[in-house]
Amino acid sequence: MSALLNKRLARSLWRTKLRLFAVIFMVSVGVFAGLTFGGYSHNLDSMYETMHKDDDTGANLADLWIDNRTTTWSANQVADFCDNLESSWNYEEFSLDSCEGRNIIPGAMFFDNNGNEEIINSLWHSISEDSNADRIWMPEGHADGRLAITADEIVIDAHVMEPLDLEIGDNVTIGAGSSSADFTIVGYGFHPVHVFMAPEGTAFPPEAGEYVVGYLSQLGMARLTGEEIGSSNTILLDVEGTPSFDFPDTNEYEGEEIDVIKSMVDESLNVSELDARVRDRGQNEQVEIMRQDLEASKRMATPFTIMIAAIASITIILSLQRLVQSQAKEIAVLRTLGVKRQSLLTGYLYTPIIIGSIGCILGCLMGPFGMNGMLDFYQQIIGVPIIVRDIPFSLYAAVVVPTMIVVLLSGIFPALKASRLDPLEVLSGKNEMRVGSKTLKKLTSWMPTTLGLSVRSSVRKPIRLTMTFVAVGISLMLFGSIQMMSAGIEDTLVGGIEDDQRWDAQVYVGTDGEFAVLDWAENYSAEAELLIEMPVGSVTDPDEIERIFTVIGLDTYSQGMRSVNLLDGNKPTLEGDIPQVMMDEGSLIFLNWEVNDIQTVTVNGVSQEVEIVGSTRGEFIRTMYFLRTDLTQITGVNATSVYLSLPEGVEVNTELGEISVGIVERQSLIDGIESLIEQQTQIFQAIMYLGLLFTIAVMLNTMIMNVAERDFELATLRVLGASTKRLGGMLLFESLLIGIIGGIVGVAFAYGGAIGLAASFSSWQFYVPIVVVPSVAYQLMGGVIIIAIAMTPIGIWRLRRMDLVEKVKDLSQ
Amino acid sequence: MTILLKMENLERHYETPAGIVKALDGVTFEIKQGERVILLGPSGSGKTTLLNCLSSLDSPTSGNYTFKDKQVPRNHSEKMTSFRRENIGYVFQFFNLLQDLTVLENILLIQELSGKKDHARALELLKLVGLEAEVDRFPGEISGGQQQRVAIARSIAKRPNLLLGDELTGNLDTETSQKVMTALVRACKEENITSVFVTHDEGLVRYATRVIRIDSGKIVSDESVNSEVE
Repeated sequence: MSALLNKRLARSLWRTKLRLFAVIFMVSVGVFAGLTFGGYSHNLDSMYETMHKDDDTGANLADLWIDNRTTTWSANQVADFCDNLESSWNYEEFSLDSCEGRNIIPGAMFFDNNGNEEIINSLWHSISEDSNADRIWMPEGHADGRLAITADEIVIDAHVMEPLDLEIGDNVTIGAGSSSADFTIVGYGFHPVHVFMAPEGTAFPPEAGEYVVGYLSQLGMARLTGEEIGSSNTILLDVEGTPSFDFPDTNEYEGEEIDVIKSMVDESLNVSELDARVRDRGQNEQVEIMRQDLEASKRMATPFTIMIAAIASITIILSLQRLVQSQAKEIAVLRTLGVKRQSLLTGYLYTPIIIGSIGCILGCLMGPFGMNGMLDFYQQIIGVPIIVRDIPFSLYAAVVVPTMIVVLLSGIFPALKASRLDPLEVLSGKNEMRVGSKTLKKLTSWMPTTLGLSVRSSVRKPIRLTMTFVAVGISLMLFGSIQMMSAGIEDTLVGGIEDDQRWDAQVYVGTDGEFAVLDWAENYSAEAELLIEMPVGSVTDPDEIERIFTVIGLDTYSQGMRSVNLLDGNKPTLEGDIPQVMMDEGSLIFLNWEVNDIQTVTVNGVSQEVEIVGSTRGEFIRTMYFLRTDLTQITGVNATSVYLSLPEGVEVNTELGEISVGIVERQSLIDGIESLIEQQTQIFQAIMYLGLLFTIAVMLNTMIMNVAERDFELATLRVLGASTKRLGGMLLFESLLIGIIGGIVGVAFAYGGAIGLAASFSSWQFYVPIVVVPSVAYQLMGGVIIIAIAMTPIGIWRLRRMDLVEKVKDLSQ
Repeated sequence: MTILLKMENLERHYETPAGIVKALDGVTFEIKQGERVILLGPSGSGKTTLLNCLSSLDSPTSGNYTFKDKQVPRNHSEKMTSFRRENIGYVFQFFNLLQDLTVLENILLIQELSGKKDHARALELLKLVGLEAEVDRFPGEISGGQQQRVAIARSIAKRPNLLLGDELTGNLDTETSQKVMTALVRACKEENITSVFVTHDEGLVRYATRVIRIDSGKIVSDESVNSEVE
């Protein structure tokens, strides 16, 4: 090993410092991305753990929710049930920690928005000071105030304080059913069940501030509802530890432990003569949605990291190979002078180590910032603080070690190859001599020679070009698949509501509450249509797991206010003995059912045969459409809500608010869906832009290499009198060609990515259809072509600054 | 014979860390239409710089250079390129044929770039340099001497007024050099092309009609000779 040889190598590499820095940059970006996404995924895990913790710092998420929203149990009934359960408890692995009653009722907040009174759909909880499960979480720095104690105090969910411009000490008027009362805000915090800020049964949270959750004391709830203190419609159970429950998005059944507790609960409910729905964490939609959202975010981190690593690796391999290959002549000279291959290789072993080390150190330094940025972003979207943040050493090792291996291999192989070249061949330029492709000659012989040369030059290094296209494809997979999926979802869901539905407001009603709404509609000349919409359908899937779906009952799917996007089959009619239904495409796929099948499902606890006459698209959650007459016969429910089509000048008012248990306006729903899709897209926006950045970097890298390698060729043509304009035209055509091929490959990759993403996001709860929106494909392709063409000026700039005198010297040596 | 070009008191200076180097120091000569000039001189004598100035690849520091009685552009890249395109043919030592194009296509490309595409003429030129059988082969498939003959055909394809070459046989053995030079003389005569070749090979003098010797940036001798190859 010679210090002088290494000094020579260092100086020689420094001469091509732009390329050198480009390689270091790509290494650091690869490490940065690995740590950012790895750290993000690692720390998301701790997010809900911190919130759900069963100690003074956490909110202690309940293990079971036992509820009946159509009745109210007295404090004695709840106590009786809890005593029965405690005395019959025989599960040694998990002891009962608490059993407590809550009243959770839908209502409204009457909010004065600059003189306009708004009715905001709301949910009110009663939470006593000494409650154990589902407490209000008030982490320092992210929440403030205290719990509601007196009859006129309220704690507002932290998600809505800022959007509604509320502060501690403000007075608010809230309602439930036909009663309303004023309360003073004494604090704001988070609730483990209300991270997903949407009314129960709704897949789309309305825009921030359009759904309010508030937490009252038991005294306060009694004051609001006029019921006795301690009245409840929900019982929360908490056991020591966390018994396993089924994750609905998996094919395995994991709920054996909670099932033991559920059977004890069922027995106690029978003994206490209470009718109730019993749900574990996997069945509590609000909790499950967020778990799946978190899982999806975490799941995406790994493939995205792999994709970024692949792009970085390809770019590193290409650039480092080029960097070392450009040393071939110097290696040959040194070999001619008698320098041993071993001595030469030592330097080329150090080069990637040093380049890799610098890149890795920079990436490691930047990684935590990237991770915190992503976590801040997720925190901002979800509205829940992520308090614990760290990057474990194992993650640093998992990112740095493979990166160093890639860098080392891509540095050593070309050096090894170069050192094995015959010095005479290198010095005489014979190693660069090659025979053109006969096939290409045939394919391009009809073209003008300049264009033919462009085509042949473009594909001169097929491996590099292929790698470039693969890297561009992966980059666009990062960028385009999210865009394609989002556009598809928006097109399907929002398009469905905008095109197939024409109601202005959906007014939710309690038992027999629809008649008051129909009267209101008549008084205001509004068109009204009754519907039933309940998440009470269930079915056993091919894996023998019980799946819940929503049943919808309408009088008509043709002339009414809500139609459907019928994919296959027909709309239901009242013909035959078996009720005809339509089901969404996601359900049919998951259940392996087909149109015209007759299947047995359970609706509100009743086993029912149905004939599937049609499949629909446009539902995010699993849905079965009945005719309302059929569904009323099965459930005994006449209507759960009323669609209203309001004449011009008529708006939803306080009167309507007071006779309903919640109102959703169509435009708010559309805004909510759009906002949710935008939020989901925003989470990946950093990744998308990274993808775009990579596309630019990869294309730039290849184009510069192509132009740089053609210096001799271009210089020859310039000396022979070719104008910069003509050569620029050649480069432009070449860029266009690479851009078009890259664009096609990119769109194909993005489509594949979108299918993969949709598959990874799709579960029984949320089915994501892939609908290719052509404009997105055109945009992606156009983007790549523009990036490719944008590189032409760099080539022309190189041509212009080419010192022909120096080049002629080179050409003659 | 009419005068093709004229250089008067031409100087080309370079600034180096060691001071100003006068690569050309007051060069004055003229070349007539149809002459075959050989520029001879030791390394560093200034012959390549003179060739670069002749081809308008480089701009002289001072002095006068006229071509067909017109001032040759200087210090303007596009105008200099245009001058080369219209007037100059160039043959390199290492041929510099485009590897992805066939022998014929290498010639067609230059015609295309100068807007004078003529397939028949390209074939004719290849016949002139004895390569009519190799038209569809790639440069990598033919010998060095054959490649240089393709380069010659390429350089005269657009009918330049002046053909320049820098050590164009420097990379060839004696026998191949003779073949190449014979082909070159034949082509120049057929096409009535004036040529200037830089070399330090005294053996090439026999192909010239005039020999200019240069040293330290000055012309030390300028004599007409009888070409042995006619």
